[in-house]
Amino acid sequence: MTRPGVAVALLLFALGCKKPVQPGDPLSGLFEQQLDRFARGKLVFDSVFTPATGLGPLFNSVACGECHEKPAGGRGDEVEVHATAFRGGVCDPLVQEGGPVIQRHAIPALKQALGIDSEPFPPSATARGLRTSPVVFGRGLLDFVPDSVILAYADPDDKDHDGVRGRPNRFVDGRMGRFGRKAFVPTLREFNAGAFVAEMGVTDPAQPTEENIGGKPIPAGVDAVADPELSQEAFNLTDDFVRFLAPPTPLKVGQEGRRGRQLFSQIGCAACHRPTLRTGPRGMPALRNREFAAYTDLLLHDMGPDLADICLGQAGPADFRTEPLLDLRGAEHFLHDGRATTLEQAIELHGGEGSGARDRFKGLSATDRAAVVAFLKSL
Amino acid sequence: MQRSIRTAALTAILLLPLATAAPADWRTLNSAQAAPSYTYRGTIRAINARTGTLELITGVGLSLRVVEITTARTTRILTASATPRLAELKPGDVVRAQCRRTSAGLVADQIEKLKVGAP
Repeated sequence: MTRPGVAVALLLFALGCKKPVQPGDPLSGLFEQQLDRFARGKLVFDSVFTPATGLGPLFNSVACGECHEKPAGGRGDEVEVHATAFRGGVCDPLVQEGGPVIQRHAIPALKQALGIDSEPFPPSATARGLRTSPVVFGRGLLDFVPDSVILAYADPDDKDHDGVRGRPNRFVDGRMGRFGRKAFVPTLREFNAGAFVAEMGVTDPAQPTEENIGGKPIPAGVDAVADPELSQEAFNLTDDFVRFLAPPTPLKVGQEGRRGRQLFSQIGCAACHRPTLRTGPRGMPALRNREFAAYTDLLLHDMGPDLADICLGQAGPADFRTEPLLDLRGAEHFLHDGRATTLEQAIELHGGEGSGARDRFKGLSATDRAAVVAFLKSL
Repeated sequence: MQRSIRTAALTAILLLPLATAAPADWRTLNSAQAAPSYTYRGTIRAINARTGTLELITGVGLSLRVVEITTARTTRILTASATPRLAELKPGDVVRAQCRRTSAGLVADQIEKLKVGAP
């Protein structure tokens, strides 16, 4: 081969061997300025709040990175409590009793004023649900998937008779939701803005008012920091950091993993865990027109009575959004509340619309079941 | 000059009874013209057609809040019905409420029931 030929071959080889994206890495294709915001946003994400900088009066964590860690944006080992009331087919998020997220901690001033260590559990609740901290990788891409793509997968009347329906949830204002375990929140930005307040008690420009304390106002002198406690720029940086976190590249699989991937589709898992989604033509170049491994349809599915807990929006107690299967390789607990400790157990706990795929999985030979698990561990 | 002052004073005296006898809502509307207006879009949590009050769930992400709104006789209710009434609205309905802040709290100028895609 001639010298220029070798150079071209090496260049093509290098282009073909793109460095795999590791958990915590930014998206490829970001501009220098965006990478700078990613780095600065990570600092806000990891920064620890104190009562003097806006923490509380009630809170679950002192930093975003306390729950989404190993690396920043990954999963944590915290489990929090949510509560709502479901009566007559209408979901009440119990806003007047402190909202659906129950905070486990109180700042010293609140403890001194009311003698409480955590938010009182709302007396009107009809259900409680446990929630683990999910990874937030790839959420920027999920945010840019057009509603029309998601709705194309919906089959609320099961017209194809496969036992899998799928329907979107709606936020309190009627917009279609996609974020959170119940697909309640329409956009990533809103999810992030709400999380500062609900998880850390840090008010921000989008939600400049503190939550009440079990339905009662915050005692005078307990919350001395003026609202909003987080600046617009600090919030924007955090939002950019989360938005720019890339979904990790699935690991290379061998023959067993390839067989597992094939079986994953054959037994019907992919009817809800759609292997890829594509973002729309709008938005920044790093996020638009990108196909990515998502393994979700972002729709609600009835998962059966055994998994049922709280309602949220139009999601009933048994309805859950198909969890995006991102970074499963690092997971030690599975499902929305972490009740499963192995992937096999998680699959076997699928009920309702997931029961067909579950039963087909259980009907596989031990070798084939292991192949499916090997494939999932590559994600 | 003296004549124009006399004319203005006479006009004011003649119009004064009209202004003071105007319906309450008319006066509220005028005094509220400078009041800041707000538009809320959310789900009805509770509604009392007798007292003309409703509670709306709004918010950001999982950080939700309740907004308490009062209706007046002049509040326009927009629903799919031919004769829309506040009593037609119920908890769980999604509405857009155009309000203004008064000394008595938020008063709705218009409440529109929104058609939301079935889940």
